[in-house]
Amino acid sequence: MKAINKLILAAVFMLGLNACKPNLEGYLPLPGDANFTTYVAIGNSLTAGYADGALSADGQQYAFPLMLAEQFALVGGGEFKVPYMPAGNGNNGSGVTKRILYYLTNCAGQATIGSRPASGTASSLASIANKGPFNLMGIPGARAVDISSGIYSSLNPFLNRIVETPGFNSILTEVLRQNPTFFTLWLGSNDVLGFATSGGLGSIDPAIPMPGDLSAVNQVAGSLTVLVDSLVRRGAKGVIANIPDVTAIPYFNTSPYNGVMLSKGAADTLNQLYTQLGLTHITWKEGANPFIVEDTTVAHPSLRVRQARAGELMLITIPGDSLRCAKWGVDPTKALTDEYFLDTDEMQAILSHTAQYNAAIANIASTFNIGLVDMNAYFKKFTAGFVYNGVKLNAEYISGGAFSVDAVHPNPRGYALVANEFIRVINAKYNASIPDVEVTKYPGIIFP
Amino acid sequence: MFMKKIALLAVALAGMYSSAFAGGFKIGLQGQKQIGMAHVGIGLVQDAATVYFNPAGLSFIDNQVNAGVSIIVPRTQFLDANTNISTYAVNQAFSPFSLYASYALPNTPLSVGLGIYTPFGSGIKYPTNWTGRFVLTDISLQAVYFQPTIAYKVSDNLSLGAGFVYSSGGVILEKQIPLQSAGAGAEAGAALDGHANGWGYNLGAYFKAGENFSGGITYHSRVDMKVDDGTASFTNIPTGLAGSFPNTTFDTELPLPSELGVGVAYKLNKDLLLAVDMNYTFWNSFQSLGFDYQDNTDKLTDDVSPRNYENALAVRAGMQWCPTKRLALRTGIFYDQTPVQDEYVNPELPDNDKLGVTLGFSYWLEDRFSIDASLMYEDVARRKTLNTETQIHGTYGTKAIIPGIGLNYLFGKKVEKSVNNF
Repeated sequence: MKAINKLILAAVFMLGLNACKPNLEGYLPLPGDANFTTYVAIGNSLTAGYADGALSADGQQYAFPLMLAEQFALVGGGEFKVPYMPAGNGNNGSGVTKRILYYLTNCAGQATIGSRPASGTASSLASIANKGPFNLMGIPGARAVDISSGIYSSLNPFLNRIVETPGFNSILTEVLRQNPTFFTLWLGSNDVLGFATSGGLGSIDPAIPMPGDLSAVNQVAGSLTVLVDSLVRRGAKGVIANIPDVTAIPYFNTSPYNGVMLSKGAADTLNQLYTQLGLTHITWKEGANPFIVEDTTVAHPSLRVRQARAGELMLITIPGDSLRCAKWGVDPTKALTDEYFLDTDEMQAILSHTAQYNAAIANIASTFNIGLVDMNAYFKKFTAGFVYNGVKLNAEYISGGAFSVDAVHPNPRGYALVANEFIRVINAKYNASIPDVEVTKYPGIIFP
Repeated sequence: MFMKKIALLAVALAGMYSSAFAGGFKIGLQGQKQIGMAHVGIGLVQDAATVYFNPAGLSFIDNQVNAGVSIIVPRTQFLDANTNISTYAVNQAFSPFSLYASYALPNTPLSVGLGIYTPFGSGIKYPTNWTGRFVLTDISLQAVYFQPTIAYKVSDNLSLGAGFVYSSGGVILEKQIPLQSAGAGAEAGAALDGHANGWGYNLGAYFKAGENFSGGITYHSRVDMKVDDGTASFTNIPTGLAGSFPNTTFDTELPLPSELGVGVAYKLNKDLLLAVDMNYTFWNSFQSLGFDYQDNTDKLTDDVSPRNYENALAVRAGMQWCPTKRLALRTGIFYDQTPVQDEYVNPELPDNDKLGVTLGFSYWLEDRFSIDASLMYEDVARRKTLNTETQIHGTYGTKAIIPGIGLNYLFGKKVEKSVNNF
């Protein structure tokens, strides 16, 4: 049948019958009111192409600003220098390689999938400043409050490896010396994320915020304002993105607060035990029950524990086997400690700070007349789930298809969607017609 | 007078083109003489292809056999509205064919006939890296109808006909699955392959009024093509998910729609005739396409995808001129309304209203034997759509030049008139 098909095709070609074909022509990409000659992307790990828990050369090729730069090249965009890591398994900043998925058998004897750092040594963080300056100024770990700090470049190894003079040059100086004509700015996530990923152990609104603290709103706003003001005053146009709230990412959403499934008998047994221990504020029932968590405000001589509440988030860092087989979160002596969950007060602090940062970012966008990319709203699309050209995507860990193995950063396909949201806003704000990137071209999760 | 009619017809067709007018996966290539006249054959009986076009026509033709085949190499393009990226479907050739035979039972008002033809089918293949590959990379849909037929000649001016239709065919559907493993490298894929069959019937009435006028009315029943135990197979599934994608079987059903047709023909003089057909196809029977898998898992669930086709009308007009006793020249124009609504346009059938023009000729090599040839040019109007289910957003366009050839052999009396069988 194939041979006949080929024969017929050959005959058709000889007769020229295939010459008759549709000729649909696309639109002409145009820059609108913006000038993309020198595009600089400023941000944190999300801008750097950080994924799977590390910055690696593989990951950097899927940084969303690089995708943007490729599209900008259609409308007059110039060279876009990326501070590539040496080839290899990357580095999380502390010498740990990127995480990969692997198959394992859990304590209950079930075949499952987990993640671990790739074997081998981490990629070098040695300085490549002599190849700079770099258009891709995505600095993993950077917070908004770090923008103007010169000393910060000696503290952050990712910034340290690319700045002209570590300990002296700040993100701000490194950006400004490139005279950007266009910028994307997406900072602020780490001002809340460090606090959130540590289970809210850091302090709130300290005068000098350390990583793991929750930065004060006025400091975040002030720092971003300085940067945008400096750029806009030099004639640059650009967009600023706000920050997704933590409830949108799988790191905080993979384990439900009520993940204890009990039979009637098991619930009865636990109720007896808890009554004997004087923990009468806790009752168990058949079906789904909240985990037991530590709470120092509970009045009890030794077991200051309570049930988790709806709205409190369990972190992905809770060891799965400990929950499954070692009675973590069920046994009153094995309540989940503070580092493993965000309690109602912490959630309140995180959500209100996120909302206030985002209000400040919206204010900056309107003050300086630049585009506002509402990444907070966009990431909520993942929570709801959506379809892109037949691919179903959502915020579920691994199976959702948009986030990388580290459960915080998108995978390449997720970054491509982020790039398209930036393009959408840039087109609208600057009357440009820049085509979207082809999302399905980029890989999703890579299984073992 | 004649030219004025043609002009009016052209205006009417042009008007329809700009409004909503369709083809679906129906194939309008069932007889070479008829194709030459825009596939007109309900009110005009030319040869044994009337088994398909109008079974009642058997009463008015000589005993004969008739065979034909057309070659289609459709060229389809997709222009992604989001990315501005253009994709051409892979070149493929299709060859819908038809075989017909007729026999008048001596000394009775009855005639019998047999048709084997391909009234439905479609196929399209996209590059395996195209953006819609998780919806479709390859589909092939085929139905061959076997139709034994009988006609009853009520009078010299009226006949009735009926055929029983057995349909045999199959569906092959391939797509990619958005799963990738370091081991396999390539994306996972799914392939569905099933044989289908169904049955139906084909009714017709044909009449003549005077020397110069004839007409017909037909009804093609719906044929439900059922696939039982088709095979579903998966490739490059990551090891840990293999259990979620077991090689299994599936059932599905595809309704081939019913159609009501009317046609008339008018002989302007002994060498020239005009004919018009209208086909109204009840596509609204195709509401959804579902796949029911034998083994369901968390990832492999039975799915139903909406199609929501709408009934559609086709209008065809053709003319035939016989400059000599042995030669007939034909031409025609048709407009075929799409049954597919904008938000359901799918890469499996990037359909839209079609405008076609045709040419054809027959040449009698000797008194009993003719060669028929046809050429159809078909332009599927470009269509920009956003599919609500898949979110594929862009413009599809398709064009095709379709040559065809056929042979006709008469067993009965020799051809005597230049305009055959009228």
